[in-house]
Amino acid sequence: MDDITIRIAGANGDGIESAARILAKAIGKNGFHVFGFRSYQSIIRGGSVWFQVRASNKKLYSIGNRIDILVSIDIDGIRNNTEMLDENSVVIYDSKLGNLDKMLNELTKGKRLKSFGIPILDNAIKVGGSIYRNTYIIGLIGKIMGLSPDSIHSTIKEVFAKKPDVIPNNINAADAGYTAESDLRFKIEVNERKGDKYLLTGNDAIAIGAAAAGCKFYAAYPMTPASTILEWFAAHENHGVMYKQPEDEITAINMTIGAASAGVRAMCGTSGGGFSLMVEALGLAGMLEVPIVIIESQRGGPSTGLPTKTEQGDLLFVTHASQGDFPRVVIAPRNIEECFYEMSNAFNIAERYQCPVIVLIDMFLSEHIETINVDPSSIKIDRGLLVDKPKNDFKRYEITESGISPRSIPGTKGLAFVAPSDEHDEYGNLASDVAAGTPEGIEIRKRMHAKRMRKLDTMLKDGAIKMPLVINENADIFMVTFGSATNSCIEAVEILKGKGISAGVISFSYMFPMHTEKVKSLLSGKRLVDVECNYSAQLSKLIKMYAGIEIKDAILKYDGEQITSREISENMYKIINQK
Amino acid sequence: MFAIQDYRSGIKPVFCPGCGDYGVLSAITKAFADLQLDPDNTVVVSGIGCSSSMPHDFKCYGIHGIHGRALPIAEGVKLANSELNVVVVGGDGDGYGIGLQHLIHAARRNINITYIIMDNEIYGLTTGQASPTSSFGQKTKSTPFGVIEKPINPMSLLIASGASYVARGFSGEPMHLAELIKNGIKHKGFSVIDVESPCVSFNKLNTFEWARRVVYKIEGHDPKDLSKAMEKAFEFELNPAKLSIGLLYESDRKTYEELEVELKGNKVLAKQDMLGADDILSFLDEYNV
Ligand SMILES: Cc1ncc(C[n+]2csc(CCOP(=O)(O)OP(=O)(O)O)c2C)c(N)n1
Ligand SMILES: [Mg+2]
Repeated sequence: MDDITIRIAGANGDGIESAARILAKAIGKNGFHVFGFRSYQSIIRGGSVWFQVRASNKKLYSIGNRIDILVSIDIDGIRNNTEMLDENSVVIYDSKLGNLDKMLNELTKGKRLKSFGIPILDNAIKVGGSIYRNTYIIGLIGKIMGLSPDSIHSTIKEVFAKKPDVIPNNINAADAGYTAESDLRFKIEVNERKGDKYLLTGNDAIAIGAAAAGCKFYAAYPMTPASTILEWFAAHENHGVMYKQPEDEITAINMTIGAASAGVRAMCGTSGGGFSLMVEALGLAGMLEVPIVIIESQRGGPSTGLPTKTEQGDLLFVTHASQGDFPRVVIAPRNIEECFYEMSNAFNIAERYQCPVIVLIDMFLSEHIETINVDPSSIKIDRGLLVDKPKNDFKRYEITESGISPRSIPGTKGLAFVAPSDEHDEYGNLASDVAAGTPEGIEIRKRMHAKRMRKLDTMLKDGAIKMPLVINENADIFMVTFGSATNSCIEAVEILKGKGISAGVISFSYMFPMHTEKVKSLLSGKRLVDVECNYSAQLSKLIKMYAGIEIKDAILKYDGEQITSREISENMYKIINQK
Repeated sequence: MFAIQDYRSGIKPVFCPGCGDYGVLSAITKAFADLQLDPDNTVVVSGIGCSSSMPHDFKCYGIHGIHGRALPIAEGVKLANSELNVVVVGGDGDGYGIGLQHLIHAARRNINITYIIMDNEIYGLTTGQASPTSSFGQKTKSTPFGVIEKPINPMSLLIASGASYVARGFSGEPMHLAELIKNGIKHKGFSVIDVESPCVSFNKLNTFEWARRVVYKIEGHDPKDLSKAMEKAFEFELNPAKLSIGLLYESDRKTYEELEVELKGNKVLAKQDMLGADDILSFLDEYNV
């Protein structure tokens, strides 16, 4: 076989997540591509959680549509996780729970899958205590998958490098699991190592990508699912990037604007609720022409919504938030590699065009893990029109054809200016008070506003704004999507192919500004289905607004779970056959 | 050698004739000149309000931000380049109303910034609504039946929040005020000077005449004595006929910048190279498979 999916279930606080990460890393060391995701709730202990790890010798795009092995250490873990089980699935549970065959048969409506009770807890206690239960499971799965014992040992040593005294017992626990009596085998053939080097979450990639892009300042108030970005920066304090947790998100973004004004690459991050608080200052960055980057990791809305669940419901909000018109850029990376690489694009665009750049991700992208490869040496830095030669008549907001004006930073001799949130002239002097409404005031307002807005045309012309990715350009029907929903669409292409349907994908990652004419001609004359994770088809609306193309069919998901290739392909099939 | 005019843009201030903020402007300018601050190394940050227009009157770097957010912006500037002199100016609405949370937290941090609040006990720019320091019972455009909230006590609030230099001045005493500002800038840590700065257009209660009547200069007070300072801070609240001006409280504690790990050894963030590919590879190493 070339693809295996394992789900480990248990209660919140049981350490399922770290166990699954160890397993994922060990699988990665065996040369497989790994894709994983955890499901959890907004409580600290209790509640049923799971972590799913999928491994393959090919590139994966999702956590899969079915489960090969479900391991649960409690009854709820079985009860809540039977949906993706089928005839070929295997369920492993702690034999302490009794014989669960009957229950499973009922839950799966007679699918007759195999199930095994194994004395997981007892064996863990033999090694040193119940906390070794998870490592025992890792060993057990390692054996079933045919992972090398070495890969498991070295993973344990790396993961617990800072707690060396727990390493021996964990190794013993893994070995006990590895030698447990079980003749189950789900072995993937390794063709060749694909060259994946790292196991990262999207948020890891965002943080490391930002550091690689020269970011020196990160401010964030904790909010799921963006918090692990701040945790990364906090854990790496004293390594060259300053991290601040201020009193609220308003402070976070205003500090970021201050730091960026003083010449460092600066960023803040949050989810939709925190972004709501940042909205006024977003416009400030637009008006002062200060380059900042904002990470917005979406969760289910509105309001507090679904704090631990995914959605793409903030697209129209971030592309239009704050009063008045000003240039901004919204980038929605599609996968973990793009999370890493788009950070340097985001900072380069912010500094070249002196405007805020929003990187729009979501809970699924933030938190799922994947083995990837990235190359930091390929990153280029472009700091834009920074000037440092003293000038008599320095016009910070000089009206230029491109809309881009020379920028000086405090401390630079002879280039002082005031950056005002009020409308202003080329020097930064107010055009909002005595000048407002005078013929000169009206003229400067018109010219300055148009200057700022021209930067949008300039960045489109410069090629800074990428066109959508097109997969299968000669397909009969296209899924139009963006950001993290893209992967499931790509996977759906294969499923549809098996049903004789030639489907393609048109996926946006640069959401705003849009190449109006080019997008229009790309989409014209094609059969299109919008696929995204929100209720109101926000991408469709954005496309209609800017490219004038109406997409009638839509596959929308807003239950908090990531859209799957199975859901997409089944709905595509329905849409195709209803006409 | 910088002269007074080296600090001034020459732009005509937006203040009404007779506004208290003129006195504050000249006091700040005098303090800058006395300290010989390099205008190119000085950033004046403000929010929105009549008083917040002041960055335009200086020939320094300036950020005229949004209402209430001057402090966070200034903190970002200071953290990015701790060698800059960062001075924040603004009104009572800006600092004690919409931006109050930032004031308390900046005080806790003891970041090395000087904050000058022009307190006219009114919202001037929006033409005369009640502010957080308007008097109990005061009739304003927005309180036709009089204010029914107790006014903020900036001095006690600031001392309690951890500001390490807490002073009050009066724009009718610009020389005295300039000294307070000068010492505030010299002070290492978060220094706040609340300035009684009458609004001649919208506040008929807290006028220059009123201020001249109630203001007196603090003498024989030990600003290092916390309980004495608190006593002074509550004086006006207990006796509205006595508004003390001078340094109420001063303490010596480590600044935010001194405690910040990324700035250890007087590092300046804005002057450091960006991380290189090798640094990033070492971060990535933790995630090796
Ligand atoms: C978010 C926001 N709310 C309201 C306003 C309107 N506004 C401008 S200045 C101001 C109050 C100014 O009072 P103060 O800070 O005391 O300054 P003064 O004009 O008295 O010097 C208000 C409410 C605004 N600009 N922004
Ligand atoms: Mg006021």
